[in-house]
Amino acid sequence: MNIIEIKDLSFSYQDEIDALSNVTLSVKKGEWVSILGHNGSGKSTLSKLIIGLLKADSGEIKVDGVILNEESVHDIRRKIGIVFQNPDNQFVGVTVEDDIAFGMENLCFEQSDIIDKIKEYAEKVSMSEYLKKEPHALSGGQKQRVAIAGILAMKTDIIIFDEATSMLDPKGRESIMNYIKEINKAGVTVITITHDMKEAVLSDRIIILKEGRVIACGDTNDILNDKETLNSSNLELLLPLKLQYLLDEANLSNDKVKDILWQLSLNK
Amino acid sequence: MKNIIIGQYLPGTSFLYKMDPRSKIIALMILMISTFILKDVTHILIMLGVVLLILKIGGIPIARIARGLKPIMILLLFTFTFQIIFIKTGTLIFDAELTLTVFTLPLMIFIILFWYLTRRYIKFKFLYLLITAFGILTMLALYTPGSVLSSSTLEVYGDGLSGAFFIMVRLIIIVTLSTILTLTTKPTDLNLGLEKILKPLSIIRINAEEIAMIISIALRYIPTLLDEANKIMLAQASRGVDFTEGKLKDKVMQIISLLVPMFIISFKRSDDLANAMEARSFVPGKRRTRLHTLSWHNLDTTVIVFCIFIFISAITVRVMF
Repeated sequence: MNIIEIKDLSFSYQDEIDALSNVTLSVKKGEWVSILGHNGSGKSTLSKLIIGLLKADSGEIKVDGVILNEESVHDIRRKIGIVFQNPDNQFVGVTVEDDIAFGMENLCFEQSDIIDKIKEYAEKVSMSEYLKKEPHALSGGQKQRVAIAGILAMKTDIIIFDEATSMLDPKGRESIMNYIKEINKAGVTVITITHDMKEAVLSDRIIILKEGRVIACGDTNDILNDKETLNSSNLELLLPLKLQYLLDEANLSNDKVKDILWQLSLNK
Repeated sequence: MKNIIIGQYLPGTSFLYKMDPRSKIIALMILMISTFILKDVTHILIMLGVVLLILKIGGIPIARIARGLKPIMILLLFTFTFQIIFIKTGTLIFDAELTLTVFTLPLMIFIILFWYLTRRYIKFKFLYLLITAFGILTMLALYTPGSVLSSSTLEVYGDGLSGAFFIMVRLIIIVTLSTILTLTTKPTDLNLGLEKILKPLSIIRINAEEIAMIISIALRYIPTLLDEANKIMLAQASRGVDFTEGKLKDKVMQIISLLVPMFIISFKRSDDLANAMEARSFVPGKRRTRLHTLSWHNLDTTVIVFCIFIFISAITVRVMF
């Protein structure tokens, strides 16, 4: 069942060339989809359109069977959580617990419920010891974990990670990717928006955007084998993938490759 | 930049800390109004006694209050001087002929220059200023050789002196009271208390919750922006901007070079923050539940009753005497 369906979506910022043109895609319930694209490919614009922060010029977005419009936008936002790129600019609360509570306060949860959920989800992202801490005492990765806890506590069906790891150090990035994996396993539909192929290969499906158009869409394995599309996408390819392509081009037999590798390791 | 503390909250456990921020704010207002009602030196001294008693029971060190009074020292001095000079009723307590002569004028300028150049090495700056001012006055009163340039009489009257003293004590009481509030209440609690107190203003379309949200976001972003400012200053310094020295014109340019990027960054941040808040279902003006709520205890009622008692006594005293 498709939880998100996007049909012929177009959007442009004032008089500029289209940030998105005729984008059509769908996301199945419970899957993990990566939207992959280089800078300016329109991938962040897409996430803002889905959650109704921007208004599309034309096209239709359907979330869980409901068409996004001015009346349904608040209901749809209850279904979608979004973790943004900059850890500092999405930290609303004065302390960690305030920030986790923020979304629940907006959804009018009971106070006792909020207190329980803060404990539960802080535990889940290993931030229990930091509940009373202020944001400037936290690292970027910790702030992103707080943001994740705040969204998990809102019990949304879909979570979008909009370049959520791009401002983190490798360690923070790894921990966030692990949490994403766990969240997806627990049944939440996850959309990761990224320019990093290393992150995208972890997902079930990849959608590649280039200059506001979908140029590829399919299972991760299929996409990785589609050499031409990947080469034309301006993305930085993974080293093993590059190597594979080079070897393909050289047209060597497997035995020859083995020989060369063997020689190389002997010379060392 | 990791340990910025906003406000001057002083951790403690006395009754002042157990009170609800709402009752503290209301009590502060009642006591301030009472202080303004009083018109007599003895009464205001009794009020000062009450305030000192609150400090004593509340376990707040006088030294902290004194630190809070420091910024208004100059203001106190000015009001004191003006009261003494301009009120000319009551009994004459003291008068002196101040004469400026060809000798004392340069001497006076010399003393002022000396004070100006040496003041940065003196620990008690305010005391030093007072001593210098007194020195000049004494010199003008006693040492009068040479041809007179100008002369005037300094007269101090009873009412002037008591008026000056009265206003000074009143100012000290008010500053002390508000310092007690900020010392014993965390900024977030204070914000929450203000929000609840301002709630009735919704009748005249002032949304207290929105104001409180703005204040809380401002509190949350002060350290972040300070950090940012620091980074920009370092970046500018690495390209040769010297923030420590230079003429006024250079200083203005330096501040502009800091302000422009700060503004741009703040706008970018607020845009991102607005998106993040809306994405988390925030709708301005819509009802929200709250994680932190306030609870009114017997202690709060007791304190308010006590303050109202003081208020009524102040009115009675004002009417009767």
